Amino acid sequence: MPIHEKSLIRKENLVENESLVIDGVDVSGHWSTFITGRSLTDYNDDMQDEIAALPGGENIHRCWQCGSCTNACTVNAVNPEFNPRYWIYLIRLGMEEELLRDKDIIWQCVSCNKCTYACPRDVVPEGVMKATAHWLELKGHTPKSPSTEFDEEFSGQVIKTGKIEESRVIMNFFRRTEQPLAQPWLVALIKGLAFRFPVFYLMRMGMAVVRRPRTRNWAKSRRAINEYVQEVEAANRAAVGAKGGH
Amino acid sequence: MTKPVLIVGGGPAGLSAAHALASAGQKVVLVEKEDRLGGAPILDGYAKLVPSHEWAKDAIGAMVDRVQGREGVDVRLNAQVQSFEGEPGAFTATLKDGTKIEAGSTILTTGFTHFDSVNKPEWGFGTFPDVVTTVQVEQMISSGKGIRCPSDGRVPDRVAILLCVGSRDRQIGREWCSKICCTVSANIAMEIRELSPKTNVYIYYMDIRTFGLYEGDYYWASQEEHKVKYIKARIAEVTSDGKRLLVKGEDTLIKRPVSIPFDMVVHAIGMDPNVDNMTISSVFGVDLNKYGYIAKQSTYAHLAETNRPGVFVAGAATGPETIDDSIAQGQAAAMAALNFKPAGKVAAE
Repeated sequence: MPIHEKSLIRKENLVENESLVIDGVDVSGHWSTFITGRSLTDYNDDMQDEIAALPGGENIHRCWQCGSCTNACTVNAVNPEFNPRYWIYLIRLGMEEELLRDKDIIWQCVSCNKCTYACPRDVVPEGVMKATAHWLELKGHTPKSPSTEFDEEFSGQVIKTGKIEESRVIMNFFRRTEQPLAQPWLVALIKGLAFRFPVFYLMRMGMAVVRRPRTRNWAKSRRAINEYVQEVEAANRAAVGAKGGH
Repeated sequence: MTKPVLIVGGGPAGLSAAHALASAGQKVVLVEKEDRLGGAPILDGYAKLVPSHEWAKDAIGAMVDRVQGREGVDVRLNAQVQSFEGEPGAFTATLKDGTKIEAGSTILTTGFTHFDSVNKPEWGFGTFPDVVTTVQVEQMISSGKGIRCPSDGRVPDRVAILLCVGSRDRQIGREWCSKICCTVSANIAMEIRELSPKTNVYIYYMDIRTFGLYEGDYYWASQEEHKVKYIKARIAEVTSDGKRLLVKGEDTLIKRPVSIPFDMVVHAIGMDPNVDNMTISSVFGVDLNKYGYIAKQSTYAHLAETNRPGVFVAGAATGPETIDDSIAQGQAAAMAALNFKPAGKVAAE
Protein backbone atom coordinates (compact mmCIF):
# COMPACT_ATOMS: atom_id res chain seq x y z
CA MET A 1 0.00 0.00 0.00
CA PRO A 2 1.36 3.41 -0.83
CA ILE A 3 2.19 5.73 2.03
CA HIS A 4 -0.10 8.73 1.70
CA GLU A 5 1.08 10.88 4.56
CA LYS A 6 4.85 10.68 4.45
CA SER A 7 5.02 14.07 6.15
CA LEU A 8 3.75 12.46 9.36
CA ILE A 9 6.63 10.01 9.48
CA ARG A 10 10.10 10.92 10.63
CA LYS A 11 12.38 11.07 7.60
CA GLU A 12 14.94 8.68 9.06
CA ASN A 13 12.21 6.07 9.51
CA LEU A 14 11.38 5.96 5.79
CA VAL A 15 13.50 3.41 3.97
CA GLU A 16 13.82 2.91 0.24
CA ASN A 17 15.87 0.11 -1.27
CA GLU A 18 17.40 0.61 -4.68
CA SER A 19 17.61 -3.10 -5.22
CA LEU A 20 15.71 -5.48 -3.03
CA VAL A 21 14.36 -8.94 -3.69
CA ILE A 22 11.98 -10.55 -1.21
CA ASP A 23 10.99 -14.20 -1.78
CA GLY A 24 12.12 -13.96 -5.40
CA VAL A 25 10.04 -10.86 -6.09
CA ASP A 26 11.89 -7.72 -7.12
CA VAL A 27 10.59 -4.89 -4.97
CA SER A 28 13.25 -2.31 -5.82
CA GLY A 29 12.33 1.33 -6.14
CA HIS A 30 10.43 4.00 -4.29
CA TRP A 31 7.04 2.37 -4.50
CA SER A 32 8.16 -0.25 -2.02
CA THR A 33 9.09 2.30 0.61
CA PHE A 34 9.25 0.80 4.10
CA ILE A 35 8.62 2.42 7.46
CA THR A 36 11.05 1.17 10.08
CA GLY A 37 9.85 0.45 13.60
CA ARG A 38 9.62 3.41 15.90
CA SER A 39 9.63 1.54 19.16
CA LEU A 40 12.11 2.47 21.86
CA THR A 41 14.65 -0.29 22.23
CA ASP A 42 16.71 0.57 25.29
CA TYR A 43 17.18 2.67 28.39
CA ASN A 44 20.41 4.37 29.39
CA ASP A 45 20.53 3.35 33.04
CA ASP A 46 23.09 6.04 33.97
CA MET A 47 21.42 9.10 32.50
CA GLN A 48 19.43 10.25 35.52
CA ASP A 49 22.41 9.86 37.83
CA GLU A 50 24.64 11.84 35.47
CA ILE A 51 22.27 14.78 35.21
CA ALA A 52 21.42 14.63 38.92
CA ALA A 53 25.15 14.99 39.63
CA LEU A 54 25.33 18.33 37.81
CA PRO A 55 24.39 21.58 39.61
CA GLY A 56 20.62 22.11 39.40
CA GLY A 57 19.73 18.50 38.58
CA GLU A 58 19.81 17.18 42.14
CA ASN A 59 16.03 16.81 42.63
CA ILE A 60 15.05 15.28 39.28
CA HIS A 61 14.16 11.93 40.90
CA ARG A 62 11.26 13.55 42.74
CA CYS A 63 9.19 14.21 39.60
CA TRP A 64 5.76 12.56 39.38
CA GLN A 65 4.90 13.83 35.92
CA CYS A 66 2.04 16.15 36.81
CA GLY A 67 3.02 18.68 34.14
CA SER A 68 2.83 21.78 36.34
CA CYS A 69 6.22 22.90 35.01
CA THR A 70 5.18 22.68 31.37
CA ASN A 71 1.89 24.44 32.13
CA ALA A 72 3.72 27.26 33.89
CA CYS A 73 6.48 27.53 31.29
CA THR A 74 7.13 30.85 29.56
CA VAL A 75 8.89 29.24 26.61
CA ASN A 76 6.27 26.53 26.19
CA ALA A 77 3.65 29.24 25.67
CA VAL A 78 5.61 30.30 22.57
CA ASN A 79 6.96 26.93 21.47
CA PRO A 80 4.85 23.87 22.35
CA GLU A 81 7.85 21.66 21.60
CA PHE A 82 9.53 23.05 24.70
CA ASN A 83 8.28 20.59 27.32
CA PRO A 84 10.26 20.22 30.58
CA ARG A 85 7.87 17.56 31.94
CA TYR A 86 8.55 15.36 28.92
CA TRP A 87 12.32 15.80 29.08
CA ILE A 88 12.39 15.01 32.78
CA TYR A 89 10.56 11.77 32.01
CA LEU A 90 13.02 10.88 29.23
CA ILE A 91 15.98 11.60 31.49
CA ARG A 92 14.60 9.65 34.44
CA LEU A 93 14.12 6.57 32.30
CA GLY A 94 17.26 7.07 30.22
CA MET A 95 15.68 7.58 26.79
CA GLU A 96 18.76 9.27 25.44
CA GLU A 97 17.96 9.17 21.73
CA GLU A 98 14.60 10.80 22.34
CA LEU A 99 16.17 13.57 24.39
CA LEU A 100 18.79 14.23 21.73
CA ARG A 101 16.05 14.98 19.23
CA ASP A 102 15.33 18.11 21.25
CA LYS A 103 18.91 19.06 22.01
CA ASP A 104 18.67 22.27 19.99
CA ILE A 105 15.79 23.71 21.99
CA ILE A 106 16.51 22.59 25.54
CA TRP A 107 18.98 25.45 26.10
CA GLN A 108 16.24 27.97 25.31
CA CYS A 109 15.02 27.95 28.92
CA VAL A 110 14.91 31.59 30.04
CA SER A 111 15.25 30.73 33.74
CA CYS A 112 12.11 32.63 34.72
CA ASN A 113 11.58 29.98 37.42
CA LYS A 114 7.80 29.94 37.08
CA CYS A 115 8.10 26.14 36.96
CA THR A 116 10.13 26.18 40.16
CA TYR A 117 7.28 27.89 42.01
CA ALA A 118 4.59 25.72 40.40
CA CYS A 119 6.28 22.38 41.12
CA PRO A 120 4.53 20.47 43.94
CA ARG A 121 7.49 18.13 44.37
CA ASP A 122 10.24 20.76 44.55
CA VAL A 123 12.03 19.28 41.56
CA VAL A 124 13.34 22.74 40.55
CA PRO A 125 12.75 22.13 36.82
CA GLU A 126 14.67 25.30 35.93
CA GLY A 127 17.74 23.78 37.56
CA VAL A 128 17.12 20.52 35.74
CA MET A 129 16.96 22.37 32.41
CA LYS A 130 20.25 24.06 33.24
CA ALA A 131 21.85 20.75 34.22
CA THR A 132 20.49 19.10 31.08
CA ALA A 133 21.86 21.82 28.79
CA HIS A 134 25.15 21.48 30.65
CA TRP A 135 25.08 17.69 30.23
CA LEU A 136 24.47 18.05 26.49
CA GLU A 137 27.52 20.34 26.25
CA LEU A 138 29.76 18.12 28.37
CA LYS A 139 28.79 15.09 26.32
CA GLY A 140 29.58 17.00 23.13
CA HIS A 141 26.01 16.81 21.82
CA THR A 142 25.63 20.59 21.56
CA PRO A 143 28.03 23.51 21.20
CA LYS A 144 28.28 25.88 24.12
CA SER A 145 25.02 27.74 24.58
CA PRO A 146 25.02 31.57 24.35
CA SER A 147 24.39 31.80 28.08
CA THR A 148 27.42 29.59 28.77
CA GLU A 149 29.50 31.84 26.51
CA PHE A 150 28.29 34.86 28.44
CA ASP A 151 28.95 33.24 31.81
CA GLU A 152 32.45 32.25 30.76
CA GLU A 153 33.32 35.72 29.50
CA PHE A 154 31.86 37.34 32.59
CA SER A 155 33.46 35.05 35.13
CA GLY A 156 36.68 34.95 33.12
CA GLN A 157 37.06 38.70 33.57
CA VAL A 158 36.20 38.52 37.25
CA ILE A 159 38.71 35.77 37.84
CA LYS A 160 41.42 37.60 35.88
CA THR A 161 41.05 41.12 37.26
CA GLY A 162 38.66 40.95 40.18
CA LYS A 163 36.30 43.25 38.25
CA ILE A 164 34.18 43.32 35.14
CA GLU A 165 34.17 45.93 32.47
CA GLU A 166 30.67 45.92 30.98
CA SER A 167 31.57 47.14 27.52
CA ARG A 168 34.22 44.46 27.17
CA VAL A 169 31.87 41.76 28.44
CA ILE A 170 29.34 42.77 25.80
CA MET A 171 31.90 43.09 23.01
CA ASN A 172 33.57 39.76 23.74
CA PHE A 173 30.22 38.03 24.15
CA PHE A 174 29.14 39.19 20.70
CA ARG A 175 32.46 38.10 19.25
CA ARG A 176 32.24 34.65 20.89
CA THR A 177 28.70 34.12 19.63
CA GLU A 178 29.48 35.59 16.21
CA GLN A 179 26.93 38.36 16.50
CA PRO A 180 27.45 41.83 14.96
CA LEU A 181 28.63 44.39 17.47
CA ALA A 182 26.36 47.11 16.09
CA GLN A 183 23.12 45.81 17.57
CA PRO A 184 20.35 48.38 17.08
CA TRP A 185 19.38 48.36 20.75
CA LEU A 186 23.00 48.80 21.77
CA VAL A 187 23.49 51.71 19.40
CA ALA A 188 20.35 53.32 20.80
CA LEU A 189 21.59 52.77 24.35
CA ILE A 190 24.99 54.29 23.68
CA LYS A 191 23.47 57.27 21.87
CA GLY A 192 21.10 57.86 24.77
CA LEU A 193 23.96 57.68 27.24
CA ALA A 194 26.11 60.06 25.19
CA PHE A 195 23.39 62.69 25.12
CA ARG A 196 22.01 62.40 28.62
CA PHE A 197 24.81 61.24 30.90
CA PRO A 198 26.95 63.77 32.84
CA VAL A 199 30.30 64.29 31.13
CA PHE A 200 32.18 63.35 34.27
CA TYR A 201 30.73 59.82 34.30
CA LEU A 202 31.27 59.38 30.59
CA MET A 203 34.92 60.24 31.07
CA ARG A 204 35.23 57.74 33.91
CA MET A 205 33.64 55.04 31.76
CA GLY A 206 35.98 55.84 28.87
CA MET A 207 39.00 55.70 31.18
CA ALA A 208 37.85 52.33 32.51
CA VAL A 209 37.80 50.89 29.00
CA VAL A 210 41.32 52.11 28.32
CA ARG A 211 42.89 51.47 31.72
CA ARG A 212 41.19 48.18 32.58
CA PRO A 213 41.25 48.66 36.34
CA ARG A 214 42.07 45.69 38.55
CA THR A 215 41.30 44.84 42.13
CA ARG A 216 44.42 45.26 44.24
CA ASN A 217 46.13 42.18 45.70
CA TRP A 218 43.89 39.93 43.60
CA ALA A 219 46.45 37.21 42.79
CA LYS A 220 45.78 35.14 45.92
CA SER A 221 42.01 35.23 45.38
CA ARG A 222 42.46 34.37 41.71
CA ARG A 223 44.48 31.29 42.59
CA ALA A 224 41.86 30.14 45.07
CA ILE A 225 38.98 30.73 42.65
CA ASN A 226 40.78 28.98 39.80
CA GLU A 227 41.49 26.03 42.04
CA TYR A 228 37.82 25.81 43.02
CA VAL A 229 36.59 26.17 39.44
CA GLN A 230 38.91 23.43 38.25
CA GLU A 231 37.75 21.19 41.06
CA VAL A 232 34.07 21.70 40.19
CA GLU A 233 34.64 21.25 36.47
CA ALA A 234 36.59 18.06 37.06
CA ALA A 235 33.76 16.79 39.25
CA ASN A 236 31.20 17.65 36.56
CA ARG A 237 33.22 15.88 33.89
CA ALA A 238 33.65 12.87 36.16
CA ALA A 239 29.88 12.86 36.82
CA VAL A 240 29.08 12.44 33.15
CA GLY A 241 32.01 10.14 32.47
CA ALA A 242 33.60 12.66 30.08
CA LYS A 243 37.36 12.97 29.59
CA GLY A 244 39.51 16.11 29.34
CA GLY A 245 38.46 19.74 29.40
CA HIS A 246 36.39 21.73 27.00
CA MET B 1 -20.01 -19.51 76.17
CA THR B 2 -18.54 -22.78 77.38
CA LYS B 3 -18.14 -24.49 74.04
CA PRO B 4 -14.95 -23.63 72.15
CA VAL B 5 -14.80 -21.30 69.18
CA LEU B 6 -13.72 -23.07 66.01
CA ILE B 7 -11.22 -21.09 63.94
CA VAL B 8 -10.64 -22.31 60.41
CA GLY B 9 -7.27 -21.24 59.01
CA GLY B 10 -3.99 -20.53 60.81
CA GLY B 11 -2.78 -17.41 59.01
CA PRO B 12 -2.41 -13.92 60.50
CA ALA B 13 -6.17 -13.40 60.96
CA GLY B 14 -6.74 -16.84 62.53
CA LEU B 15 -3.68 -16.55 64.78
CA SER B 16 -4.82 -13.12 65.89
CA ALA B 17 -8.35 -14.34 66.64
CA ALA B 18 -7.03 -17.39 68.52
CA HIS B 19 -4.72 -15.23 70.63
CA ALA B 20 -7.47 -12.73 71.42
CA LEU B 21 -9.95 -15.45 72.43
CA ALA B 22 -7.43 -17.39 74.51
CA SER B 23 -6.42 -14.17 76.27
CA ALA B 24 -10.06 -13.66 77.22
CA GLY B 25 -10.23 -17.19 78.66
CA GLN B 26 -12.23 -18.62 75.76
CA LYS B 27 -11.36 -22.12 74.54
CA VAL B 28 -10.35 -22.33 70.89
CA VAL B 29 -9.95 -25.09 68.32
CA LEU B 30 -7.70 -23.95 65.46
CA VAL B 31 -7.96 -26.06 62.33
CA GLU B 32 -5.23 -25.71 59.66
CA LYS B 33 -5.09 -27.73 56.44
CA GLU B 34 -1.31 -27.41 56.02
CA ASP B 35 1.30 -29.02 58.28
CA ARG B 36 2.15 -25.79 60.09
CA LEU B 37 0.66 -22.51 61.22
CA GLY B 38 1.46 -19.06 59.81
CA GLY B 39 -0.52 -18.85 56.60
CA ALA B 40 0.83 -17.33 53.39
CA PRO B 41 3.69 -15.33 54.97
CA ILE B 42 5.18 -18.54 56.40
CA LEU B 43 4.02 -21.17 53.89
CA ASP B 44 5.16 -19.10 50.90
CA GLY B 45 8.37 -17.89 52.53
CA TYR B 46 7.84 -14.14 52.47
CA ALA B 47 10.88 -11.99 53.20
CA LYS B 48 10.57 -8.66 55.01
CA LEU B 49 7.04 -7.47 55.72
CA VAL B 50 5.39 -4.12 55.04
CA PRO B 51 5.40 -1.83 56.96
CA SER B 52 7.71 -2.94 59.79
CA HIS B 53 10.49 -4.51 57.64
CA GLU B 54 10.56 -7.43 60.10
CA TRP B 55 11.28 -10.83 58.59
CA ALA B 56 8.06 -12.81 58.12
CA LYS B 57 9.49 -15.80 59.96
CA ASP B 58 10.17 -13.58 63.00
CA ALA B 59 7.01 -11.47 62.97
CA ILE B 60 4.45 -14.14 62.04
CA GLY B 61 6.57 -16.81 63.74
CA ALA B 62 6.05 -14.94 67.03
CA MET B 63 2.30 -14.96 66.41
CA VAL B 64 2.47 -18.73 65.89
CA ASP B 65 4.55 -19.25 69.04
CA ARG B 66 2.13 -17.41 71.30
CA VAL B 67 -0.76 -19.57 70.08
CA GLN B 68 0.80 -22.99 69.57
CA GLY B 69 0.91 -25.10 72.75
CA ARG B 70 -1.02 -22.48 74.70
CA GLU B 71 -3.54 -23.72 77.25
CA GLY B 72 -7.06 -23.48 75.90
CA VAL B 73 -5.89 -23.53 72.27
CA ASP B 74 -6.31 -26.87 70.54
CA VAL B 75 -4.36 -26.78 67.25
CA ARG B 76 -5.25 -29.38 64.59
CA LEU B 77 -2.77 -29.46 61.70
CA ASN B 78 -3.29 -31.29 58.38
CA ALA B 79 -6.99 -31.00 59.08
CA GLN B 80 -9.93 -29.87 57.00
CA VAL B 81 -13.56 -29.43 57.94
CA GLN B 82 -15.72 -31.77 55.87
CA SER B 83 -19.12 -30.92 57.26
CA PHE B 84 -20.52 -28.34 59.62
CA GLU B 85 -23.91 -28.85 61.21
CA GLY B 86 -26.08 -27.78 64.09
CA GLU B 87 -27.45 -24.57 65.47
CA PRO B 88 -25.76 -21.34 66.56
CA GLY B 89 -24.31 -22.10 70.00
CA ALA B 90 -24.20 -25.83 69.28
CA PHE B 91 -22.35 -26.51 66.03
CA THR B 92 -20.66 -29.79 65.20
CA ALA B 93 -17.80 -29.78 62.75
CA THR B 94 -16.61 -33.06 61.30
CA LEU B 95 -13.04 -33.18 60.05
CA LYS B 96 -11.96 -35.24 57.07
CA ASP B 97 -10.44 -37.87 59.38
CA GLY B 98 -13.83 -38.24 61.10
CA THR B 99 -13.00 -36.29 64.26
CA LYS B 100 -15.95 -34.34 65.58
CA ILE B 101 -15.53 -30.89 67.12
CA GLU B 102 -18.22 -29.21 69.18
CA ALA B 103 -18.23 -25.45 68.82
CA GLY B 104 -20.41 -22.57 69.97
CA SER B 105 -19.43 -20.43 67.02
CA THR B 106 -16.81 -20.36 64.30
CA ILE B 107 -14.51 -17.86 62.61
CA LEU B 108 -13.48 -18.43 58.99
CA THR B 109 -9.98 -17.11 58.39
CA THR B 110 -9.43 -19.12 55.25
CA GLY B 111 -7.42 -16.48 53.42
CA PHE B 112 -6.71 -16.17 49.71
CA THR B 113 -4.86 -17.92 46.88
CA HIS B 114 -2.08 -16.25 44.92
CA PHE B 115 -3.01 -15.54 41.31
CA ASP B 116 -1.52 -18.16 38.99
CA SER B 117 0.45 -16.28 36.32
CA VAL B 118 0.04 -18.99 33.68
CA ASN B 119 -3.42 -17.48 33.21
CA LYS B 120 -1.73 -14.52 31.51
CA PRO B 121 0.39 -16.43 28.99
CA GLU B 122 1.32 -13.29 27.02
CA TRP B 123 3.53 -12.24 29.91
CA GLY B 124 5.79 -15.25 29.57
CA PHE B 125 5.40 -16.99 32.93
CA GLY B 126 5.88 -20.71 32.41
CA THR B 127 7.46 -20.08 29.00
CA PHE B 128 10.65 -18.28 30.04
CA PRO B 129 12.40 -19.36 33.23
CA ASP B 130 13.47 -15.80 34.04
CA VAL B 131 9.88 -14.64 34.29
CA VAL B 132 9.01 -15.06 37.97
CA THR B 133 6.41 -13.89 40.49
CA THR B 134 6.70 -11.59 43.48
CA VAL B 135 6.34 -14.68 45.66
CA GLN B 136 9.42 -16.24 44.04
CA VAL B 137 11.40 -13.05 44.60
CA GLU B 138 10.27 -13.06 48.25
CA GLN B 139 11.65 -16.59 48.47
CA MET B 140 14.93 -15.60 46.77
CA ILE B 141 15.37 -12.88 49.40
CA SER B 142 14.26 -14.90 52.43
CA SER B 143 16.41 -17.89 51.43
CA GLY B 144 19.50 -15.66 51.57
CA LYS B 145 20.61 -16.72 48.10
CA GLY B 146 20.02 -13.27 46.65
CA ILE B 147 18.51 -12.17 43.37
CA ARG B 148 19.48 -14.57 40.59
CA CYS B 149 18.05 -15.40 37.19
CA PRO B 150 16.61 -18.92 37.45
CA SER B 151 17.91 -19.83 33.98
CA ASP B 152 21.64 -19.57 34.67
CA GLY B 153 22.03 -18.12 38.17
CA ARG B 154 23.46 -14.78 37.01
CA VAL B 155 22.76 -11.57 38.90
CA PRO B 156 20.41 -9.60 36.64
CA ASP B 157 21.56 -6.22 35.29
CA ARG B 158 18.00 -5.15 34.86
CA VAL B 159 14.72 -6.27 36.40
CA ALA B 160 11.20 -5.30 35.29
CA ILE B 161 8.30 -5.59 37.72
CA LEU B 162 4.88 -5.72 36.04
CA LEU B 163 2.03 -4.52 38.25
CA CYS B 164 -1.61 -5.68 38.21
CA VAL B 165 -0.91 -9.24 37.10
CA GLY B 166 -4.20 -10.96 37.90
CA SER B 167 -5.83 -7.77 39.12
CA ARG B 168 -8.03 -5.13 37.48
CA ASP B 169 -8.42 -7.34 34.43
CA ARG B 170 -11.86 -8.13 32.98
CA GLN B 171 -10.26 -10.48 30.46
CA ILE B 172 -9.70 -13.00 33.21
CA GLY B 173 -12.66 -12.07 35.43
CA ARG B 174 -10.67 -10.31 38.08
CA GLU B 175 -11.98 -6.80 38.41
CA TRP B 176 -10.63 -6.01 41.85
CA CYS B 177 -7.48 -4.21 42.88
CA SER B 178 -5.42 -6.57 45.03
CA LYS B 179 -4.46 -3.62 47.19
CA ILE B 180 -1.06 -4.80 48.38
CA CYS B 181 0.94 -5.45 45.20
CA CYS B 182 2.04 -1.84 44.54
CA THR B 183 3.51 -1.51 48.01
CA VAL B 184 4.92 -5.04 47.98
CA SER B 185 6.54 -4.35 44.59
CA ALA B 186 8.10 -1.09 45.81
CA ASN B 187 9.35 -2.98 48.86
CA ILE B 188 10.78 -5.80 46.75
CA ALA B 189 12.37 -3.28 44.37
CA MET B 190 14.15 -1.62 47.29
CA GLU B 191 15.30 -5.01 48.60
CA ILE B 192 16.67 -5.95 45.18
CA ARG B 193 18.57 -2.64 45.00
CA GLU B 194 19.99 -3.28 48.46
CA LEU B 195 21.02 -6.85 47.74
CA SER B 196 22.57 -6.10 44.34
CA PRO B 197 23.14 -2.36 43.88
CA LYS B 198 24.15 -2.87 40.26
CA THR B 199 20.74 -4.22 39.34
CA ASN B 200 18.44 -1.55 37.89
CA VAL B 201 14.77 -2.01 38.72
CA TYR B 202 11.94 -0.71 36.53
CA ILE B 203 8.28 -0.90 37.59
CA TYR B 204 5.63 -0.87 34.84
CA TYR B 205 2.39 0.54 36.18
CA MET B 206 -1.06 1.78 35.18
CA ASP B 207 -1.73 3.50 38.51
CA ILE B 208 0.24 3.38 41.71
CA ARG B 209 -1.74 2.57 44.85
CA THR B 210 0.77 2.72 47.67
CA PHE B 211 -2.02 3.99 49.87
CA GLY B 212 -1.83 6.02 53.08
CA LEU B 213 1.54 6.36 54.72
CA TYR B 214 3.12 3.98 52.19
CA GLU B 215 3.28 6.91 49.78
CA GLY B 216 6.39 8.24 51.49
CA ASP B 217 7.96 5.07 52.84
CA TYR B 218 7.59 2.96 49.71
CA TYR B 219 6.61 4.91 46.58
CA TRP B 220 8.97 7.81 47.14
CA ALA B 221 11.63 6.05 49.19
CA SER B 222 12.02 3.54 46.37
CA GLN B 223 12.59 6.37 43.90
CA GLU B 224 14.52 8.85 46.00
CA GLU B 225 16.77 6.55 47.98
CA HIS B 226 16.91 3.48 45.78
CA LYS B 227 16.56 4.99 42.30
CA VAL B 228 13.81 2.60 41.25
CA LYS B 229 12.19 3.80 38.01
CA TYR B 230 8.45 3.86 37.33
CA ILE B 231 7.17 3.62 33.75
CA LYS B 232 3.56 4.24 32.86
CA ALA B 233 2.84 1.36 30.52
CA ARG B 234 0.62 -1.68 30.40
CA ILE B 235 2.83 -4.39 28.99
CA ALA B 236 1.48 -6.14 25.89
CA GLU B 237 3.79 -9.15 25.87
CA VAL B 238 7.02 -10.60 27.16
CA THR B 239 9.11 -12.43 24.58
CA SER B 240 12.78 -13.26 24.19
CA ASP B 241 15.47 -12.33 21.69
CA GLY B 242 17.22 -15.59 22.49
CA LYS B 243 19.48 -14.02 25.10
CA ARG B 244 17.37 -11.67 27.17
CA LEU B 245 13.69 -11.12 27.76
CA LEU B 246 12.00 -8.49 25.62
CA VAL B 247 9.29 -6.43 27.30
CA LYS B 248 6.90 -4.87 24.82
CA GLY B 249 4.22 -2.29 25.44
CA GLU B 250 3.38 1.34 25.07
CA ASP B 251 4.89 4.07 27.16
CA THR B 252 1.70 6.09 27.44
CA LEU B 253 3.40 9.23 28.73
CA ILE B 254 5.37 9.64 25.52
CA LYS B 255 2.93 7.80 23.26
CA ARG B 256 5.60 5.47 21.92
CA PRO B 257 5.85 1.72 21.70
CA VAL B 258 8.68 0.24 23.77
CA SER B 259 10.58 -2.98 23.30
CA ILE B 260 13.16 -3.13 26.06
CA PRO B 261 15.56 -5.97 27.00
CA PHE B 262 15.47 -7.27 30.57
CA ASP B 263 17.24 -10.05 32.45
CA MET B 264 14.36 -10.82 34.76
CA VAL B 265 10.65 -10.01 34.70
CA VAL B 266 8.66 -10.16 37.93
CA HIS B 267 4.88 -10.50 37.96
CA ALA B 268 3.31 -8.61 40.86
CA ILE B 269 0.62 -11.23 41.30
CA GLY B 270 -2.71 -10.39 42.88
CA MET B 271 -4.86 -12.06 45.50
CA ASP B 272 -7.50 -14.46 44.21
CA PRO B 273 -10.35 -15.73 46.37
CA ASN B 274 -9.24 -18.91 48.12
CA VAL B 275 -9.37 -21.64 45.49
CA ASP B 276 -11.46 -23.71 47.96
CA ASN B 277 -14.08 -20.99 48.51
CA MET B 278 -16.87 -22.87 46.69
CA THR B 279 -16.33 -25.84 49.03
CA ILE B 280 -16.04 -23.59 52.08
CA SER B 281 -19.24 -21.83 51.03
CA SER B 282 -21.20 -25.06 50.78
CA VAL B 283 -19.72 -26.71 53.90
CA PHE B 284 -20.34 -23.72 56.18
CA GLY B 285 -23.45 -22.43 54.41
CA VAL B 286 -21.98 -18.96 53.89
CA ASP B 287 -22.59 -16.76 50.85
CA LEU B 288 -19.82 -15.58 48.59
CA ASN B 289 -19.80 -12.07 47.14
CA LYS B 290 -19.82 -11.50 43.38
CA TYR B 291 -16.02 -11.72 43.24
CA GLY B 292 -15.91 -15.07 44.99
CA TYR B 293 -14.74 -13.95 48.43
CA ILE B 294 -16.76 -14.74 51.56
CA ALA B 295 -19.48 -12.09 51.83
CA LYS B 296 -19.71 -9.84 54.87
CA GLN B 297 -23.22 -8.94 56.01
CA SER B 298 -22.53 -5.41 57.06
CA THR B 299 -19.73 -2.94 56.82
CA TYR B 300 -20.36 -0.89 59.95
CA ALA B 301 -22.87 -2.28 62.42
CA HIS B 302 -21.83 -5.92 62.65
CA LEU B 303 -18.21 -6.46 61.89
CA ALA B 304 -17.17 -9.96 60.83
CA GLU B 305 -20.67 -11.41 60.42
CA THR B 306 -21.55 -13.70 57.52
CA ASN B 307 -25.10 -14.52 56.45
CA ARG B 308 -25.14 -17.46 58.90
CA PRO B 309 -25.54 -16.55 62.59
CA GLY B 310 -22.58 -17.78 64.62
CA VAL B 311 -20.26 -18.01 61.64
CA PHE B 312 -17.84 -15.09 61.42
CA VAL B 313 -15.17 -14.18 58.90
CA ALA B 314 -11.93 -12.18 58.98
CA GLY B 315 -8.88 -11.35 56.91
CA ALA B 316 -8.20 -12.02 53.22
CA ALA B 317 -11.10 -14.49 53.08
CA THR B 318 -13.28 -11.40 52.63
CA GLY B 319 -11.22 -9.76 49.89
CA PRO B 320 -7.65 -8.59 49.23
CA GLU B 321 -6.27 -7.57 52.59
CA THR B 322 -3.03 -6.48 54.22
CA ILE B 323 -1.46 -8.50 57.03
CA ASP B 324 -1.98 -5.79 59.62
CA ASP B 325 -5.65 -5.32 58.69
CA SER B 326 -6.14 -9.10 58.71
CA ILE B 327 -4.80 -9.13 62.27
CA ALA B 328 -7.16 -6.34 63.27
CA GLN B 329 -10.10 -8.14 61.67
CA GLY B 330 -9.12 -11.35 63.48
CA GLN B 331 -9.43 -9.51 66.78
CA ALA B 332 -12.74 -7.96 65.72
CA ALA B 333 -14.08 -11.40 64.81
CA ALA B 334 -12.90 -12.73 68.19
CA MET B 335 -14.83 -9.94 69.88
CA ALA B 336 -17.92 -10.78 67.83
CA ALA B 337 -17.62 -14.49 68.70
CA LEU B 338 -17.16 -13.75 72.43
CA ASN B 339 -20.27 -11.58 72.50
CA PHE B 340 -22.31 -13.92 70.35
CA LYS B 341 -25.57 -15.02 71.94
CA PRO B 342 -27.66 -17.44 69.87
CA ALA B 343 -31.16 -16.14 69.25
CA GLY B 344 -33.74 -17.50 71.74
CA LYS B 345 -31.10 -18.78 74.11
CA VAL B 346 -31.08 -15.64 76.25
CA ALA B 347 -34.76 -16.04 77.01
CA ALA B 348 -34.33 -19.73 77.84
CA GLU B 349 -31.60 -18.90 80.41
